[in-house]
Amino acid sequence: MNDLRIKGIKRQEEVKIKVNGQEVIAYESETVLSVLIANGFKVFRKSAVENEYRGGFCGMGVCYDCLVTINGVPQLRSCMYYVKEGMEIETDEEKV
Amino acid sequence: MKKKYNVVIIGGGFSGLVAADILSNRGLSILFVDENNYLGGQLLRKIPERLGKYLKYKPDSIKKYGYNLAKKVFDSDIEIALNSRVIGIYKDKELLVEVEEKKVFNVKAEVILFATGARERFLPFKGWTLPGVYSTGMAQIMMKSSGVLPGRNVLISGSGMFLFAVGYELIKNGAKLHGIYENSGFVDKVKLISQFIPQFSKFAEGGRYLFKIYSSLVPIRYRRRVIEARGDKGVEEVVVAKLNKEGYPISGSEKVYKVDSLLTGFGFVANIELPQLAGCETEFDKKKGGWIIKVKDNLETSISDIYAAGEITGIAGSLKSINEGKIAANSILKRFKLIENNDYENNLKKLINERKKHLKFGEYFNTLYSIGKGDILSIDDNTVICRCEDVKLKDIKESVKNGYTTPGGLKISVRAGMGNCQARTCGPVIYDIINVLTNKGYKDIGTFSVRPPIKPICMNSLKNFED
Repeated sequence: MNDLRIKGIKRQEEVKIKVNGQEVIAYESETVLSVLIANGFKVFRKSAVENEYRGGFCGMGVCYDCLVTINGVPQLRSCMYYVKEGMEIETDEEKV
Repeated sequence: MKKKYNVVIIGGGFSGLVAADILSNRGLSILFVDENNYLGGQLLRKIPERLGKYLKYKPDSIKKYGYNLAKKVFDSDIEIALNSRVIGIYKDKELLVEVEEKKVFNVKAEVILFATGARERFLPFKGWTLPGVYSTGMAQIMMKSSGVLPGRNVLISGSGMFLFAVGYELIKNGAKLHGIYENSGFVDKVKLISQFIPQFSKFAEGGRYLFKIYSSLVPIRYRRRVIEARGDKGVEEVVVAKLNKEGYPISGSEKVYKVDSLLTGFGFVANIELPQLAGCETEFDKKKGGWIIKVKDNLETSISDIYAAGEITGIAGSLKSINEGKIAANSILKRFKLIENNDYENNLKKLINERKKHLKFGEYFNTLYSIGKGDILSIDDNTVICRCEDVKLKDIKESVKNGYTTPGGLKISVRAGMGNCQARTCGPVIYDIINVLTNKGYKDIGTFSVRPPIKPICMNSLKNFED
């Protein structure tokens, strides 16, 4: 996978999380949004009316486009949450 | 959380921080609320120490001052509610504060200071909803706070100095930047300078970015913008067009670039929703960035004991925010009789003079990078305008033709601005669209209405309501 993390950086502590059931390595201080994009998950969900693919957009909690399910709680803004050990994230690519 | 506070400060960006610092440790009970998990707002993003060291991150003197301030406020007697949002404001300054999307508190304030800052402004184009099309702000935040690139092959299209700051960061961190396309003309820039008093420190910062970008041979082109992004599950290519003086794309000038990420942003708009909900008067001034909160010289709003500071009184950047944080704090000190009249008068006189200069600086940029009539009229009819409800321009045009010429009318007729973001993203564009289609002035058009909860909240939080 094409990791988009900037090279040559010493990161914070490593944490293991799951994205759609798949184990993913992340680092403390990374937002859920950053981890998803760094690992090639670009599509987070489909839009409400036209069923178009959507991902992150504003990155600061304004646009509500980057909604994902975190530890079973749906429709959370991935840009506003930081990863934690054992976190389970679900994107919603197929469901409407 | 207590039931009553002398002062509630909403927004932990620069102006809120400066005010909090001045008001702290004087016996006032103060609640300081911010939606993020750190203090500092958009400019003073939390940079993990280890990351900062390896990114060779050197904050400039203003940011250094800000980081120190955040630390100082954190160690003061002020009660800080992070991951928290004010979702409602009622009569007699009663507030609903939601904490960590889990619990809601009812709090009464004697004095409120709004320092809710700004968000990015956008000019929609075909395909701007595709995954991989990101705001310039999002890219900057990802690189600076998480150390993650938005993509490998990136292109920037939009307007304003911020494009160059982001471009600089991308190049430094090893992305291939395929160009920066600035919507406004270079000549306009030179013409306007004489009208306003420039602030040289800011221009020096811009020069540093420009030097890095020029020396890495990344093209910078003026009067051009992306008119379409294409791809299946994400952006694969973008179309850049030259623009005529009115902002219309010149046909035949289109060029296609293969990219995996496109960054866009057209300056900033003020977050006026909360003060609006409190009943504060607003005004429209294009030179100040559009709709803003009306304030007196001492930054009191139209409602007594409610103050506003920072970007919400006019978009002009960090120096104005710092200045206004000081003005607001002095006014609040006077309100609680914690400052001698003479000192207050002296402080305010100096600060108000300073503020005028900052406003002038803001006016220069807001005028230079404003979105024009041609920019709006050349948006393709099939472009989604309201991202939450997938409302296209043609739907809005049809509705306006049928007499729905207010934001509220468009909400009823086509659900524009009705979704999760509550018109924060599409609102400013919709005001422009109504303006160019009907020639109605912005004051007549008005804004989208606001009501609590000001942002979507989890039902779970309401279950845990503490009255």
